[in-house]
Amino acid sequence: MTQNNTRTPPAPLVASGSAGERWSGRALAAGIRVGGLLIAILIVIVVFTLLSKPNTFLTITNMLGVMRSMSTIAIVALGLTLVIVVGEIDLSFGYMYGLASILIGVSWIVWGWPIYLSILLAFAAATAVGSINSFLVTVLKIPSFIVTLGTGQLVFGTTLLVSNTATLNPAYPPVGKVVPQAQVDWFFGLSNQSLPLGIPMQAFWMAGVAVVIGFILSRSLFGFRLKAIGGNPVAAELARLPILKYKFAAFILCSLLASLAAMLDFAFIGSVQPNAGVSLLFPVFAAVIIGGASLAGGRGTAIGTLSGALLLAIIANGLALLSAGSYLSNFVLGGVTIAAVVLDRFTQSLRK
Amino acid sequence: MAAAGTPAVDGATVGLGLRIRGLRKWYGDTRALDGLDLDARPGEILGVAGPNGAGKSTLIKILAGEAREDGGTIELDGAVWRPVLDRDRVAVVHQEPQLFPNLSVAENLMVGREGTRGLVRDLDAQERSLMVDLAILEYANRPLGSVPLAIQQRVEIGRALARDARVFLFDEPNSALTPDESTDLFRRIHLLAEAGKVVLLVSHRIAELAQHADRVALILDGLCTTALDGEALTQEGIAAGLVTGQATRESEEQIVVHLGEDAGVALRLADWTHGTGEFHGIDLHVRAGEIIAIVGVEGSGARELVRSIAGFERGTGHIEVAGRVGRSAVTSGTSLVSADRQMSLFSNLSIGDNMVSRLSTEITAGGGALRRGRMLQIAHQLRGQFRVIATSVHLPIRSLSGGNQQKVAIAAAIVKRPEVLVLEEPTRGVDVGSKREIYRLMREYASEGHAVIIYCTEVPEVFEAADLAYVVSDGRLSDPLIVINYADVEALARAVTRLERHSLESAALP
Repeated sequence: MTQNNTRTPPAPLVASGSAGERWSGRALAAGIRVGGLLIAILIVIVVFTLLSKPNTFLTITNMLGVMRSMSTIAIVALGLTLVIVVGEIDLSFGYMYGLASILIGVSWIVWGWPIYLSILLAFAAATAVGSINSFLVTVLKIPSFIVTLGTGQLVFGTTLLVSNTATLNPAYPPVGKVVPQAQVDWFFGLSNQSLPLGIPMQAFWMAGVAVVIGFILSRSLFGFRLKAIGGNPVAAELARLPILKYKFAAFILCSLLASLAAMLDFAFIGSVQPNAGVSLLFPVFAAVIIGGASLAGGRGTAIGTLSGALLLAIIANGLALLSAGSYLSNFVLGGVTIAAVVLDRFTQSLRK
Repeated sequence: MAAAGTPAVDGATVGLGLRIRGLRKWYGDTRALDGLDLDARPGEILGVAGPNGAGKSTLIKILAGEAREDGGTIELDGAVWRPVLDRDRVAVVHQEPQLFPNLSVAENLMVGREGTRGLVRDLDAQERSLMVDLAILEYANRPLGSVPLAIQQRVEIGRALARDARVFLFDEPNSALTPDESTDLFRRIHLLAEAGKVVLLVSHRIAELAQHADRVALILDGLCTTALDGEALTQEGIAAGLVTGQATRESEEQIVVHLGEDAGVALRLADWTHGTGEFHGIDLHVRAGEIIAIVGVEGSGARELVRSIAGFERGTGHIEVAGRVGRSAVTSGTSLVSADRQMSLFSNLSIGDNMVSRLSTEITAGGGALRRGRMLQIAHQLRGQFRVIATSVHLPIRSLSGGNQQKVAIAAAIVKRPEVLVLEEPTRGVDVGSKREIYRLMREYASEGHAVIIYCTEVPEVFEAADLAYVVSDGRLSDPLIVINYADVEALARAVTRLERHSLESAALP
């Protein structure tokens, strides 16, 4: 109602609900989903606590380590959630992660740029890659799977070209170059501040990103329309929703968050190598899917994706503590991902 | 198609044909077929006509084996026939052929009967002669998707002949064909009947039914009410039969409150022509406060015209919305609700969220944050105003009945307050009660000083809802019919039919 309605509308046939109405339908479904995930996480924690040696798994130090190790996946997955919600797919984020870290490393260490400019360069590149992805998807109408499969390789090629396939470390700059210590301290400080209780810095970044994406998805007009567009693109067009603009925003944010995660990992680890990020594809997608986002579009939450990343990180950590060997963790992670979707289907059919 | 390897037979001796008794079908609480009786004799073309939602498409689905009947019997040549279990006896030719566009024409003809050796075989003699009969042999190696629609339909007929189907069901087969292609198709339909097949022709085009069918069965409210043949089989007869007992004007809605001559022109079209030629040179002006109906069958250009007004089909010429011209006038001044609810609602959003899905500044505070309380308030208000029967606006949209879903779709468009509200078949698949409600809402919105344009395929809807009706035929717009001047819906139906036929004949003259 853009105009004030002077006439009193007829009384609703059914009394307007208030408190009782708030928890029903979609909200409830999302609640069940996250609730189910939290139960799964608790079960996994109990199982690993029983299986592992005393005082190795369920300790504060180990759990803080889990938080740090999940943060990379969580930050990238939160970005991917936006793209998935709007009904598209991005396979290039892992390569974007690699390009962003290499661009920071090369421009800062080899070219001698100030670190601030190097970071800006990485984010500019992310904006460019996101824009190219969304241009091909929205204007040229090429399926995003194909687009990002292709741009991923283009990005990876660029990374190899720029880095000359070398590993970079500010402590060992090329002959004749010096990286100012103040910049090194500031940059490493992005991920290595000493915080109370030993909480890892990256967990704070993750929390910040989660709050922003959570706000976008559940509290903003942008997120509301992302869901509408992903849920029914034809109806969105008839309703004249700004599909093109919003898809650009989703792809660009996804690339930007991959670059943010790359920068934080570089700052934490202290060095970069060109094929960093290539292995992100599976865990990031798994986190989004376990988190309840629908690959068909229109469904996804920040808290869900965050819980998905947490579950994966706990399982990976627990299996590592048990020295389970890599084949077993592959089995478990793959199985958990499929099981999550099967369970989702099952609970959905129960609701109907 | 008598030459297709089988000897020609006299239609009358071929068997008993199709005999349907007491056919029933329910969809949830909605009754689609209510004990329908129908006979189709071999050697004749049985026309089937009926308004949307009368049960016609349900009958087609059951005969095609795509839906299971809930009761009644179907006999074919004296033996019980369950289409769901034995689909090979029936061939359905739709407007869009149900074939494999990626395979070649010849492969389409063979698929399903390739033989057991697992090797790709060549066409056999029978198939070859079939293709010669149907004049499709020259296309044998072309991918089906690349040949014209008329050829695809012949492939569909050929597929059915090759498996010796008995019943041929043509469902609006020529709505996307050119006049020449149509003539050829009807010639083949007559040949099928002469070969003793059971042929049903479902069409909205009254003229074609009168011309080609031997008998026409009218389906209303899930029953076959009449079968017209001989003298009674005229266009007027069909048109009147289709609307009998439908549509009564309710006294208060009957009074058309015009805002007078000085009311603003909400929409003006001049020399308005479709991007790919579905309509040409349309001049139209619609005043605020009016509900106008654009009437026309599929393929007439009526639907494209209506969609072009809202900017969803490309048109060239002059368009003016509420005194403003250009693209932005169209996008800000019009709202479209499509006929298909799948295309107007967001199944992943709640009822309330669907209602406010077209709003922006009305539901946001600073920083793009949603005002959830405001959204809920608007949704509750709309639920009351539109009498949407729902216990909570938080429920999924799918939990509503079709009629209530349609009300939500229209509410979402109206709440944006467009100068011109464009509705495609606003009550398709909607129950009677909701129909009334939707007409009331349209009238209410028009009387608030807006124009409402509806695309109609059904005369009763025009009679009940519109002030003026324009008939589109072959892409041309007729002079307006003033609906209030017609005493009953039969009279209006006759006038509409005359206009459709008139323009067809005048187009055929040169």
